[in-house]
Amino acid sequence: MIRHVTNWFRRRKLESGLDRELRYHLDRRISDLEKSGVPAAVARRQALMEFGGVAQVQEKIRDVWLSRWLRDLTYDFRFSARSFLKTPSFTITAVLSLVLGIGATTAIYSLVDQVLLHALPVREPERLVLIDWKGDQVASAHGSWNLMSYPICRDLDKKKDFFDGVFCRALTDVNLSTGSDSRPEMVEIVSGNYFEVLGVAPALGQVIEQDDDRVPNSNPVAVLSYDFWQTQFGGALDVVGRKVLVNRHPLTVIGVAASTFKGVDVGEVPSLWIPASMSSQAIPGFNDLLLDRRNRWMQVFGRLNRGMTLEKAQAGLQPWFKAMLQEDTHLASFPVITPERRQAFLSSSLVLAAAPQGHAPLRRQLLQPLWMLFAVTAVLLGLACLNVSGLFLARGSARDREIATRLALGASPWRIGRQFLADSLLIALFGGLLGIAAAPIVVRTLVAFVPRASAPTALHAGIDLRLLGFAFVVSVAAGLLSGLAPAWQAGRRSVAQSLRERGGTAFSGVRLRKIIVTAQIALTLTLVVGAALFLRSLDALMAKGPGFTTSGLISFGVDSLLSGYSPAEGNRLMRRIDEAIRESSVTQSSAIVRWPFLTGGSWSDPMTILADKRLTTDRDVNLNTVTPEFFQTMGVHIIEGRNFDERDVHEPGVEGWRSAIVNEAFVKRYLRGRSPLGMLVCEGAGPDDNPDVVVVGVMSNFSYRGLREESEQVFFPFFEGDGASGTFYVKVHGKPESFVPSLRAIVHGVDPTLAMTDFRTVSEQVDRSLNTEHLLATLSGSFGTLALVLSLVGLYGVMSFVVTQRTREIGIRLALGATRWSAIRLVLRDASAMIFLGIGIGLLLVSVLGRLVQAQLYDVKSFDPTAIVITVLILCSAGVGAALIPAHRASGVSPTEALRVE
Amino acid sequence: MLILQIVSLEPAHGYGIAQRLEQISKAIVQVNQGSLYPALHRLEQKGWLKAEWKESETGREAKFYALTASGRKQLVTEKDSWARLAGAVQLIFSEGDQ
Repeated sequence: MIRHVTNWFRRRKLESGLDRELRYHLDRRISDLEKSGVPAAVARRQALMEFGGVAQVQEKIRDVWLSRWLRDLTYDFRFSARSFLKTPSFTITAVLSLVLGIGATTAIYSLVDQVLLHALPVREPERLVLIDWKGDQVASAHGSWNLMSYPICRDLDKKKDFFDGVFCRALTDVNLSTGSDSRPEMVEIVSGNYFEVLGVAPALGQVIEQDDDRVPNSNPVAVLSYDFWQTQFGGALDVVGRKVLVNRHPLTVIGVAASTFKGVDVGEVPSLWIPASMSSQAIPGFNDLLLDRRNRWMQVFGRLNRGMTLEKAQAGLQPWFKAMLQEDTHLASFPVITPERRQAFLSSSLVLAAAPQGHAPLRRQLLQPLWMLFAVTAVLLGLACLNVSGLFLARGSARDREIATRLALGASPWRIGRQFLADSLLIALFGGLLGIAAAPIVVRTLVAFVPRASAPTALHAGIDLRLLGFAFVVSVAAGLLSGLAPAWQAGRRSVAQSLRERGGTAFSGVRLRKIIVTAQIALTLTLVVGAALFLRSLDALMAKGPGFTTSGLISFGVDSLLSGYSPAEGNRLMRRIDEAIRESSVTQSSAIVRWPFLTGGSWSDPMTILADKRLTTDRDVNLNTVTPEFFQTMGVHIIEGRNFDERDVHEPGVEGWRSAIVNEAFVKRYLRGRSPLGMLVCEGAGPDDNPDVVVVGVMSNFSYRGLREESEQVFFPFFEGDGASGTFYVKVHGKPESFVPSLRAIVHGVDPTLAMTDFRTVSEQVDRSLNTEHLLATLSGSFGTLALVLSLVGLYGVMSFVVTQRTREIGIRLALGATRWSAIRLVLRDASAMIFLGIGIGLLLVSVLGRLVQAQLYDVKSFDPTAIVITVLILCSAGVGAALIPAHRASGVSPTEALRVE
Repeated sequence: MLILQIVSLEPAHGYGIAQRLEQISKAIVQVNQGSLYPALHRLEQKGWLKAEWKESETGREAKFYALTASGRKQLVTEKDSWARLAGAVQLIFSEGDQ
């Protein structure tokens, strides 16, 4: 096979060699014969006769060089290319259709590949597993998704029967300073064996090792990410040994990680890695993280032993795990819990999941939307193929004569069909080439939609081999798909039939083309209905809004603990900043909340309520602390009771909150509308949790984590908690963006070294929280439009062809006294049959596929009548419009002209 | 097999091989001389023969075919299997005679 291909490239040389070789043979034979006394003329004839047809021999030898089919294929391709150059408009239409299809599919696949499929650039990623705790850990959580405690990770690392090693990691924001200024950066806190188990080597210096993670607080070292080293240190080779300040603690840079390695989370790329032994410096305020078994804050990964399977490891670990659970309950530090909760704790199990791609909340979030979009682009590609099919069929009927002649000359139908396949393959490969060129532009636009701040750095728009391979496969598939119908059509024809058709009667490709158009309309309907559903969901979410004011609001975060303050000092600092901002002439009002809104996360816990009897909430309640100005600044109403005020201030020496404000949803779910004022609540649902916080008010509902949720919320006064870090929401007159410098100046007036994070307008945050919805609505909308255009072109093409073909019939009808209107009706009847059948099939598809997208919709049923009616109307009118042009032409047929055509 | 055998003695060009074939088989094996060439090219493709342009006995450049190492191996196995076949046929004939 390979030899065949190389032969193809050196065929010119082979040909001339063969020529010389055969000429030599003949010349020798002739001269030998002449020597034996045969006259020259006779000698030549005899030599040729003995040899037996030179041309046949040459052909046979060419077959040896290049197997027959390959040779024919090259001829086919050459012939196709020539005929395409002769009909540029046809070629451009066909190629453009496929560029759209292939480009869109490739672009979405690029994201699918990077976010969902790509394995980590580490040694043997297929042996990595994520270890998770299924059940109640009776532990407080710091972070989200698959969290476990650090001591459990160390225990698991000792299970060498199953694992080569087990490591853990946690991401956190720190205040990082490499020189004069400081800014927030993402840091990955890792156990000492992280790099070793992953198999990631340093690009410079060394990576974190076991010894860096033995004694708490004793190894102030850091490893830089390659990108961070390049951007912040200009790739300086003497970076090893320099100091960086993490939350004002000096850490020594010991190395730079390999350039391809960007942590184990696709969406969140850390700037540096520090050993878990330094976690109390990286996460101030949490001290027992390394010893406390009841504090879960890290994701735990293991590398299975060679030959160990996931199932075997999971089953094998359970006995040890169950014993550990029992042991834990006997520890003095184990909290007092209800018997039910104890039962839930003891029935927990360890779950292993394959994690060759690492850990990625981004993947969880984008999994469904991306596959959905991928399916949509696949349908679009299908439509494009059908379109090209239609175009080829039309061209096929134009090439009637050529084909009939070739058939008559003895070409097999298979040979003719193959010519069509070569045509479409060539077009598809060309389309694929252009599609690949267009894909990076599309990907760059797509990445902007990905709902995570750091994602643009993690996702790239480049083209790699996988992508090229994918595009190639897709192009070939598209080529085969779009060539199938014409090839089949051509292969079916017999010589007699095609000769008979020379008279000018119907070419039976029309039926096939009608079927194609019907399928196109059905597919288009599904895509357009889908787009309408996503648009309506987005609309509904936008109309609903977050439930608080968004205009004129800007927010930013301040964490005094990251700048070296103690909690008490930090509390005083926040008060000073709060006052400075409120007293400033540029601001209208200002509030601090502990945890920002619309980020997808929240502080949550179950609660205990003391009404006439004691009850506990059946799910987590979203909690927060806010300053009294919150309600006015954000436009959240207090419906009942009062705001926080000086009555809520602690007496000196007393800890904890005295008062709380709950929201309407909380009242509705747990008190069935009874007034909660004066009731006692507390965080936690254990038997020893003592409700001692008085409910003083009820506030209106608004979105905490995201726009879609309706959750129960309970808020406490900000400064009565730790109150040392939080997010400021400032209301200003005019454009919020323009106030960033003055707000920065105010905060720096209080402490010039304080780092501020995430300056963002609240309307931008609302938009950002709807990124996935925007992505789906925009893309499915544009894909739907493309699909509509493609199928209208198909419909128009088929109808004009039908009209051309029936010109004679229409002419006769008109001559016999039919009105022009009846001619139009004749054509429209044909078109509407296709349109309605297509719509019918499309509706069936919608009802089947609708359930798959339900999770992405908001306030809309997947079989939404409005969306469907609108789509059907659009399709009908556009379809009839496309058919009207040929219909009008039909009505203009003059009977004499039509009959003269014969 | 015949071609391989001829070439194994010494490198030869197409015309020479054709002559030798005729001589050796004493015109029992009559083939079109032309059909020799596809066979030669096939053997070359399979890597059993290698070809080289050299000056021939008449002074003109001609394409000389020579046996490669794998060609030599192939010749041995083909001779073996031919010997086995011939032996078997012989055996059947002699069985029939008894």
